[in-house]
Order: sequence, then C-alpha cells, then structure tokens
Amino acid sequence: MARPAFWKVDRPEEGGPRLIHLDRDRRLVEAAQADPARFEALYRKYLAQVYSYAFYELRDHHEAEDATERTFLAALTNLGRFEERARPADGEGASTFRVWLFQIARNAVAERRRRLHRRPEAPLEAAASVAAPVDLEGDLARHDEAAAAWRAVGRLPDDRRRALILRFVDEMSTAEIAGVLERSEGAVRVLIHRALRSVARDLDDPSR
Amino acid sequence: MTGVFRGRDGHEVDALITDGYLEALLAAHARGADRAPTASDPADAIRRTSDRLARDLPRLHPSFRFEEALAARLADVATRMRLPVAAGAEGLIVPLPVAEPRSDHPDDLADALEGAVSGRVRRPLIIGGALTSAALSLAGAAYVAWRLNRPSVSPMVRAAREVARTRPV
Repeated sequence: MARPAFWKVDRPEEGGPRLIHLDRDRRLVEAAQADPARFEALYRKYLAQVYSYAFYELRDHHEAEDATERTFLAALTNLGRFEERARPADGEGASTFRVWLFQIARNAVAERRRRLHRRPEAPLEAAASVAAPVDLEGDLARHDEAAAAWRAVGRLPDDRRRALILRFVDEMSTAEIAGVLERSEGAVRVLIHRALRSVARDLDDPSR
Repeated sequence: MTGVFRGRDGHEVDALITDGYLEALLAAHARGADRAPTASDPADAIRRTSDRLARDLPRLHPSFRFEEALAARLADVATRMRLPVAAGAEGLIVPLPVAEPRSDHPDDLADALEGAVSGRVRRPLIIGGALTSAALSLAGAAYVAWRLNRPSVSPMVRAAREVARTRPV
C-alpha cells in the first residue's frame, strides 16, 4: 500500500528535529502546475479511486461519473492554489495532493447527494438498483458474502461509511482520512472501529 | 497500560488496536502477502469483519469510454489554461507605436496610422493574453505597418493619404 513519505529535518527554532511531510505526488503536481497538460498523469493515477469513492457514496453509475468529472475539473482549474503542507496531524490546513483531491471529491459528492435528496422520486437505493448500467449488486449476487458486505456497508451512517470506504477501498491511512474528513486521527480511528462493529453485527444477523 | 495506550479510555484503546491491525492487514494485501502479526489483535468479530471487507469490497473503475472522454475534456481545459502563456503572458512590456488622435477628425485613420508607423508617439503596451482581451497583438501591429507601407493599388486610397499628409494641423 502506498504511503506518504516523511522526512526528518532539523528545525532548531522549534526545539529540535521534527517530521515534515513530503508528498509522494510532488513531482507530478509540480509538473502539472508548470504545464496543465501534464495533469493527465495525476488524473490517470487517481481516477479509479475517486470514482470508487463516488460510487460507494452515491450508488449510481451516472451520478458517480458526474461527481468524478466535477472533481477532476475543479482540481485542474484550482491546481495553482494547491500547496503541499505538513501532515494532517500537524494541524489545520495540512494536506497532500490526494487528501486535497478527496476533499474536492467529498464536496462534489455532497452536492450530488443534496440534489438527489431534493428529488424524492429517485432516492439513492432506488437509483442504485434501477438506473445503474453497472449492476454491481447483481454481479455480486454470485458471491453472496461480497454482496452482504456491500449491503452492510451501505446501511452504515454516512460518516462511518465514508471512513470505512476510504480505509478499505481507497486504502488511505488514518492520517489521510483525517485530512479528508477534517477530523482528528483519534476520531477517525474510533469511527472506523465503530463502523466495523456495526458491520460485524449486521453480517452476523440472520434476518439480514 | 503503557506506551501509546496510556491515558486513553477503553474505546480509544480498542480503536488503536483495530487501527494497528488494519494497517498490517491492508499493507499485506497490497503486497499480496499474508498479514504480518501485530502486537495485539482486536476482538474476534472485528478481525473477521476486517478480513472480509478487505477481501470482498470491490474497487471500481469507470468505463473506458468515460475515462477517455474526461481525459479529452481535461486536455481541452488544460490547453485553454496554457493559451495566455502562448500569447506572451509572461508580461513582457513592448513599446508599440500607437498614434494619439491629433485633431478633431477621429476618422482620419490614414493619418493616425501613419503616425503610429513613423513612431511619432510611443505608448507602452503590455502583451499578455492580448489576443483575447484587447484583440491586439504583435502580429496585428506588424500587419498594420505592412498595410501602411504597402503602395496602395487604389487611386482613391492614394489620394486620401495624400490629402491627409498635406492637410494643415
């Protein structure tokens, strides 16, 4: 699993060495900031991750594509404002490119969800089962366990589901998830632990 | 209770143990290997559920058609973002000869342009994104200069220029 790189540096003015964050995408980001055409490398690298996140959140193929498109367009046009900073644990504003990208994705998904909720005739669950050309649940029906896991995760409260998806599907570290969700690492750990307990109970429930 | 667990309540300790387990589990999955042992394992139900989610939750990819269509759209946006650079957005200040209106004859174009070409009046002009904002460029200035220096084929134009040159200010 890819993990952010950390580098130990001497910061005598702050009382000794500390760890600063080195974004693993630094070269790609700098290239894209110098020449927007080179944003494509970042796009190809993170497309599936952003799309997965959007699909798990929206449960609809078209809505997920729309959120994905908005995410990358916003990232490209605002790339000049992206600033690599310390790791999320270092405090407010800390970011890496992937955390920054997923913050944009989170906003794009939230916007799509608000729009879907304003249309009561097309609730999320119905959209997932009726409209999706990629019938994920149908495909997974051949694998009962996987389908059950998919459903159990879908029944979680929003914040727990979001944290679990970022951890298991997008394989983010706790620190990265904290950056995306704008919560402390401790809060994210508790969120994931509780989500796992809920899913465990759900999967063990014979009535489900 | 020692180390990272000191001063934490039961929920936080459980969450930390789960976090350590997930870290080892997902790292092993990424390597295609078995999970490395951790200092302490979480409760059995948490461990089984974690193993199951890591194994069963699918990673999704959009259609190839969508991927390429969005790539093309991003390339188009990137090209438009680069255009100002191509037009000289480095902010170079170029002294471009532009004539001031000399009289109350604003339609005296031939005279004004001739003044511009002869360099009587010089005004700095910032060239940068000019193609889209001011619709004026170095290429445009060169074209105007060429038009003025070119002997006109029309007797009417030649006569108009002559009148303009000889008219008292």
